[in-house]
Amino acid sequence: MAKASKFRGINVRKEVRLLPGYLLCAVWIVFTFILVAWVVCASFLSSNEIFSDSMMSSFFTRLTTFTLKFDNYAKAWGTHNVGVYFLNSLVYTVSSCTAIVLISAPAAYVLSRFVFRGNAFIQSLLSVAMGVPAIMIIMPLFGIVTALHLMNQPSTIIFLYIAMNIPFTTFFLMAFFKNLSPTYEEAAAIDGCSPIRTFWRIMFPLAQPGIITVSIFNFITVWNEYFLSLVFANKSQVRPVAVGLYNMIQSMRYTGDWGGMFASVVIVFAPTFLLYIFLSERIIAGVTGGAIKG
Amino acid sequence: MVKRKNTRMIVLFLAPAMLFYAMVFLYPILRTTVMSFFKVETVSQKVGDWKFSGLGNYFKLFTANMFHASMFNFIKILLVGGVVVLALALLFAVILTSGIRGKRFARSVIYLPNVISAVAMGTMWLNYVYNIDYGIFNNTFTMFGGAPVLWTGPGTLFWSMLIAYSFGMVGYHMLIFISGIERIGTEYFEAAKIEGANVFQQFWNITLPLLKGVMRSNVVIWTVSVTGFFVWGQLFSPVSLSFDTVTPVNYMYELVFGASSSAITERDAGMGAAIGVLMAAVVVVVAALSTLITRRDDVEL
Repeated sequence: MAKASKFRGINVRKEVRLLPGYLLCAVWIVFTFILVAWVVCASFLSSNEIFSDSMMSSFFTRLTTFTLKFDNYAKAWGTHNVGVYFLNSLVYTVSSCTAIVLISAPAAYVLSRFVFRGNAFIQSLLSVAMGVPAIMIIMPLFGIVTALHLMNQPSTIIFLYIAMNIPFTTFFLMAFFKNLSPTYEEAAAIDGCSPIRTFWRIMFPLAQPGIITVSIFNFITVWNEYFLSLVFANKSQVRPVAVGLYNMIQSMRYTGDWGGMFASVVIVFAPTFLLYIFLSERIIAGVTGGAIKG
Repeated sequence: MVKRKNTRMIVLFLAPAMLFYAMVFLYPILRTTVMSFFKVETVSQKVGDWKFSGLGNYFKLFTANMFHASMFNFIKILLVGGVVVLALALLFAVILTSGIRGKRFARSVIYLPNVISAVAMGTMWLNYVYNIDYGIFNNTFTMFGGAPVLWTGPGTLFWSMLIAYSFGMVGYHMLIFISGIERIGTEYFEAAKIEGANVFQQFWNITLPLLKGVMRSNVVIWTVSVTGFFVWGQLFSPVSLSFDTVTPVNYMYELVFGASSSAITERDAGMGAAIGVLMAAVVVVVAALSTLITRRDDVEL
């Protein structure tokens, strides 16, 4: 990091030169913090307190007197159905992320390791899928799903999430398998291990860092997905969080329970937010790894 | 690469992924393309009932006022938003790679909006940042003696939406720029420093020319994201389509699934398909153009 500077301590001239940069970053970061902090504070207040000039002071009063309105969360989870959406999203996300990896990893392995006719063609097919707008595919899918009477089925939604994320995941994992040394396979072959067994017993576990990174990515993508679930999950019982939250916000116009609404917002972004706080370095490395390939 | 013949394994390992691909990408892409040349009312209509109409759907689109508005908004997002987002992303990438303290922290915070649900982000912007009485923008303005602005009024709604959307995207494109800059060897910058080049000269003569490939990726990725622009349009005009915020996908959703209001009474899946084809065409054209422009004198890193 500090390769340019000769000193371990503070190089005053250099820091002064970087001042405009520091300022710009600071403004952006402070803004982001206020944005998130505001909604978290608002989620613990009553509607009247949120819509007043002294919002922050009422937050600190409540904080110091232990009267934060946790019942906003209870109401959001129960009355506003966010609990249902949350559990739906959890089921969709966990099951699709597992399946995505189990399907993409073998494909990525074969594409990165074997010479065969059609390899390059399949790779370019996959890269096309990453640039196709969702609106290009949504109508025929809707046609199939309604014809088969599969609307509002969790399995339909999970199926679509799996399919949508296979191209990206396969591309991402190809880079990982490419970097693994072929000596592992050679050793396994000498020991009489079949190539398929070699993959599941040796190569798949070796690609674990890549598999974890790409799964975090898929988790975030699927958790926040909006367009597909808007079309394929239009019943309250099957909605995931993004569409559920949108519907809740729309009805909020009439009920006016702002505290409950902001509590819902916090519940919806908490899982990906917390994941990010703990794993941001990994996620950031993944963005750059995946994007350059694509 | 292992060159052993292993056809059974190759087929077995590729089949599931390819099956999913065929069902969810290949078949739908082909069907949508064909559908855009037919008069089709509802998506679930049988192929036998489709009536060939040539470019009819496209002509109909070009005479629809709502489509004009949606394309105009799309182009504004693509160009104005694109220039601003990529410029800011590049600026932050240069700042964060210039030896600044707290680089990792700043990088994480700037990328943060990308991991939060767009619906949640949009709610924060609409209810807090743009609020006329206690919003952060108006509070800052009035602090410096300015007058409060109605951020979600007729003239400002589009730009407010674009700012909120762009705010999140900066972090993503910044990361891609950073990884590009970090792959440029430090020896270039050291040589330039010895020659007495200042920060701006280094940027113009080293960073920018060597980032052409990365710039191309960013332009294509931005275009792909903008062709999917949907949820922000819905968040900023939730009740019905408005000329201020409609984008092609919002219009298509209304045409095909006719969700919210009476803005459009008739269903027309054929026109929806034509919008899809046009959006895909935009991605293809931008990708081809940017490859053409950057390939001419590409520097291999």
